[in-house]
Amino acid sequence: MLRLVLEVVGRRLLTALPMIVLVSIVVFVILRAIPVDPVAMLLPPGATAEDAAALRAAFGLDLPLPVQYWIWLKHAAMGDLGQSIFFRESVGGLLARAFPATMELSLVSLALALVFSVPGGLLCYAQNTRLGRMLADLGIVTSLSVPSFLWAIFFILLVGVAFPILPFTGRISGDTMLPNITGFLLIDLLITGRLHDWGDAALHLLLPSLSLALSFAPSVIRVLRSSLMDAAHDDYVTYARQRGVGEGRVLVHHMFRNAALPTITLIGVQFGFLFGGTLLVELIFSFPGLGNLMVQAVRNHDMPLIQGAALVFCIVVLLTNAFVDALYVVLNPRLARRA
Amino acid sequence: MQTHPVLALDGVTLQAGTGNKTIELLRDISFTVERGRTLGLVGESGAGKSMIGRLISGLLPPSFQVAAGRLLFDGADLTGQSAAARRALLGRRIAFVPQEPLSALNPVLSIGRQFAEHLARLGVPDRQRQDRAAEWLAAVHLPEPRAMLRRYPHELSGGQCQRVLIAMAFSSEPSLIVADEPTTALDVITQARIMQLLKEQQALHGAAVVLITHDLHLAAQVCDEVGVMYAGDMVERGPASAVLRAPFHPYTRSLRNSVPALDGPRRILPALPDQMPGVMALAGLGGCRFAPRCPSRDTACAGALPPWHEVGPAHRVRCADACLGADFPPAADVPDGLIRLPSEAPAVLELCDVSLHYAGRRGLFGRPAATIAAVHEVSLTVGPGEFVGLVGESGSGKSSVARLVMGLERPTSGRLLLEGHDPLTADQPLLRALREHVQIVFQDPQSALNPRRNVFSLVTQALEVSGHRVDRPERRRQARRLIEETGLPADCLPRVPSQLSGGQKQRVNIARALCVTPRLLVADEIVSGLDVSVQAQILNLLLRLGRELGISLLFISHDLAVVRYLCSRVAVMYRGRIVETGDTEEVFANPRHAYTRSLLEAVPSNRPPVDLAG
Amino acid sequence: MSGWQSALRAGKVQVGLGLLIILLLVALLAPVLAPHDPREQDILNTLTPPAWDAEGSAEYPMGTDSLGRCILSQVIYGSRTALTVAFAAATGSMLLGCLLALVAGYLGGKTDWLVTRMVDLWMSFPPVVLSLLLMVGLGTGVRNVVLAIVLVDWTRFCRVVRSDVIVTRRRDYVTAARLLGFSHLRTIIREILPAAAPLMITMFSLEMGIAVIVEATLSFVGLSVGADVPAWGVMIADGRGYVHQAPWAMIAPMIAIFAAILAFNLLGDGLRSALDPRLRTSRI
Repeated sequence: MLRLVLEVVGRRLLTALPMIVLVSIVVFVILRAIPVDPVAMLLPPGATAEDAAALRAAFGLDLPLPVQYWIWLKHAAMGDLGQSIFFRESVGGLLARAFPATMELSLVSLALALVFSVPGGLLCYAQNTRLGRMLADLGIVTSLSVPSFLWAIFFILLVGVAFPILPFTGRISGDTMLPNITGFLLIDLLITGRLHDWGDAALHLLLPSLSLALSFAPSVIRVLRSSLMDAAHDDYVTYARQRGVGEGRVLVHHMFRNAALPTITLIGVQFGFLFGGTLLVELIFSFPGLGNLMVQAVRNHDMPLIQGAALVFCIVVLLTNAFVDALYVVLNPRLARRA
Repeated sequence: MQTHPVLALDGVTLQAGTGNKTIELLRDISFTVERGRTLGLVGESGAGKSMIGRLISGLLPPSFQVAAGRLLFDGADLTGQSAAARRALLGRRIAFVPQEPLSALNPVLSIGRQFAEHLARLGVPDRQRQDRAAEWLAAVHLPEPRAMLRRYPHELSGGQCQRVLIAMAFSSEPSLIVADEPTTALDVITQARIMQLLKEQQALHGAAVVLITHDLHLAAQVCDEVGVMYAGDMVERGPASAVLRAPFHPYTRSLRNSVPALDGPRRILPALPDQMPGVMALAGLGGCRFAPRCPSRDTACAGALPPWHEVGPAHRVRCADACLGADFPPAADVPDGLIRLPSEAPAVLELCDVSLHYAGRRGLFGRPAATIAAVHEVSLTVGPGEFVGLVGESGSGKSSVARLVMGLERPTSGRLLLEGHDPLTADQPLLRALREHVQIVFQDPQSALNPRRNVFSLVTQALEVSGHRVDRPERRRQARRLIEETGLPADCLPRVPSQLSGGQKQRVNIARALCVTPRLLVADEIVSGLDVSVQAQILNLLLRLGRELGISLLFISHDLAVVRYLCSRVAVMYRGRIVETGDTEEVFANPRHAYTRSLLEAVPSNRPPVDLAG
Repeated sequence: MSGWQSALRAGKVQVGLGLLIILLLVALLAPVLAPHDPREQDILNTLTPPAWDAEGSAEYPMGTDSLGRCILSQVIYGSRTALTVAFAAATGSMLLGCLLALVAGYLGGKTDWLVTRMVDLWMSFPPVVLSLLLMVGLGTGVRNVVLAIVLVDWTRFCRVVRSDVIVTRRRDYVTAARLLGFSHLRTIIREILPAAAPLMITMFSLEMGIAVIVEATLSFVGLSVGADVPAWGVMIADGRGYVHQAPWAMIAPMIAIFAAILAFNLLGDGLRSALDPRLRTSRI
């Protein structure tokens, strides 16, 4: 089994590598179409054209596009993603600091979303009255219509402003000193035993992750429900009932096991939405993650940083897909034996 | 000890209520099954025989209720019982053997886990479950039972899955087994083996068996008693041999007579008109529901449900008195001239050592790719006006031959000639003409007819192609000609496929192929999904088309009797090769290849009856 | 066709259509309905609370923002931006996505491989990230927002419609059409496209909802239609700056965004279940 998982993950990673290179080319090409001169805002007032040219040369922006890309790729392969034009700091370092925050946020959101959607899907499926089905249906469509940033603003208005009970800026209160071991705050604070600060960090994480989870859960609920409905017509379900297997066991042991497969596929496909959603949610909650960094980079036309951040987003999505594929294979014996 | 029959239905009427309209899905059904005995419930799909199975399991939608009668299991009435009490019986004292063995097992759980789940419910302690399951699998003659337990359903064949399911059914030593079409999804040879296994296990454990099947011959062979179902009624009931030998009800007779035989004289199949009414049509049908199709109906049939008549020892029939005396005119022999012998004209189709090889799927890390020979060195000719049968089980490569003939695949090697020309070297106009002369009738009318086109547009679809385009009135005229030729009702032109019955869909399918007057029809399993009475209609239609239009037919089928009825020559395919070919009568009378022999032996009506005393 | 008739009778479709018609009317009649020019700044009346508040005034029914602009008028004019972008972007991505899907699904082989790889490549970008990148490259403006959404969301159509086309292509009636002598183009138009049409229309409706979200998101970041075009996302982004002083400033655009998405989702969901009950949710 382990060999199988490694094999699947390995195969996906092998195909992900050229994909990452392609992604970087796409990013590179898009950003070269940029209408604004990125160095313009770095120049002091009254700088001459020579000053600008010198600065451009310093960033390597005067070379032809393929050459620039080749240089960038060579450096990137060695882990050097260049210097941020705006922060005047290495892009790698900036990303490394922001990445764990975003990852922590997305993973907690995903977990929360699953906590909502698995019982939610089962509950929606189990509706056997006309009214119940209609309400479930309506609930799903309505909640699908609330994007994460609306949830975020709504929460800020509700429990931040109207009833100020929860914090809604940053990862932690005030100027608490942060340990930096893994970068994942919840883990670091737990390791260092600072339980009070851990609680504080968790509270800070609550609203952003809730916003993301609530916008992600309805689509999972919907797929789970319709997969369960499909499974309900399958022969093995009828036969299990004919064998006298109880309804609860039929639902959990037989139907859910099968319905989970399309649901997992959906989570893999849709993870990009959740992960991309962090961008705006981080901005709204001033959460110091990749999204916030990317928005700042975009506002300042900081190309090396935009490039780096976009690449990290893509790599995470590709890795997630590889992982979800492996999970799918492990849970689906029809694929497992063939691989 | 008091002796009850294991199962007794006593005047059961099952209603489905939808608002103010109620439909009687089952009317006044009565029968009993004793311990160790087998009752066959026979009928076409929709006759209500599976409904009896669902009634016994109690797994009916809430809107269904038993309006009258009692359902006695071991003397106790189940109709008023709670769902929980009924469930307690299922899998313990009442066991089911399902229709589709491959899909009846949960695809994501291993055989061992599913068996263990069942044994756990029977109270077998955890540590003994694997051993007990393995014992049971060994009892149904599955090789390497331990290894089998670790496998998943998709790794087993249909026959193996059915063995597992039979093992599970008997593992609780139940009093009653309900087997719903347990062999329909299987190949002929596997079918015979599974039926044998079922009988063997029954003899061993002494359970009562209710066998639900569409196959009267099969029922007659393995059952002690049969009940014939039609549109929710049981129309005839009696000892199996008596019902098969001397059926009384006009429906039972036609059921028996519309199946072509493998031996004896070839007779024109008496085909009943129309089709059994669907569930929704039952609402308005009082009296005898068979009457609209009955050749000897009279005014008495329309009134109330006809009474039972005793016509022999334990042999009863539910029919108005008038029918009882009447008899069908004896069926005519197939006229000699009907099946044409090959003439001197060039063959419409000629295959010379044609092979079709697929590159096999490559392994994960470049394991060598094996080629799969779907068709291997097949030679076959179809003369003008000749009907040739191609027989084999699923996966034997017969459908690949059809694809080759239709030009959907290119032969890997060998030569394929249409009317003496090689389509691979023919120029465009000739190629077009050749292709037009060969038309296919697909197996599954569901998939073969675009659900968004109506009958008019479907049957004249060929006229949309440049070169054939005609004006609207001409197209209408053509459409009317085609539906007349294929026996479709005149008012069906504006209907879409979902508004047609299965038989009508297959007629549309044939009509479409006839539009540009082909020389050769390729028909791939076109009657396998149809009920016998409709099958007879379609077979007779093909015979008539051959006679009237002089069309040749390459008829691909797994059903030997049907091939014998239609075709003057037959080729038997096995694993991509033609293992035997020749005159149909000759081949079926004196099969030379072992595979042909085993095919013929597996057909229910051709086997010596299973020992009924068992 | 009866499918369309039953679709119109479905409750969700009716409610969705109703909402959509209201939105359309608001957008079309904006000059009549709006009490003010949405860009007009009233420096004396900044951050006025809504009319029902004790300090509110009837002149600004929903209050004003920090520059003294009428919130109600901005919301009303914002619907023009949202609906224009939604309709244009959904049309564009449907055309691009479905064209590629038909070609790839029908031809199969190398073409299919190439298109599938393209979709894979595109799908490895989180949609928000890619649209942001494109906006950086393209610059702001309504046309560029539409273009960015089309370039991101064609993959949705392509992925789903392609698998639908592949299913249809395997049906015997498509083979039958070819055997009767239909050309490839004719087969696609007469046999395959009609089968995919319900799916395409359903997705079109859902895509309009997604376009509203993306447009609002981009506006929020400040990379959308440009500074002087009223947009709901911009209003929310502005409102965030004075959330403590004037929380009401965000509520109206939030409701507007929600209502628009809900209208498209109700319509799309209703169409889906009415036109093809077997359609799997998982594919969208």
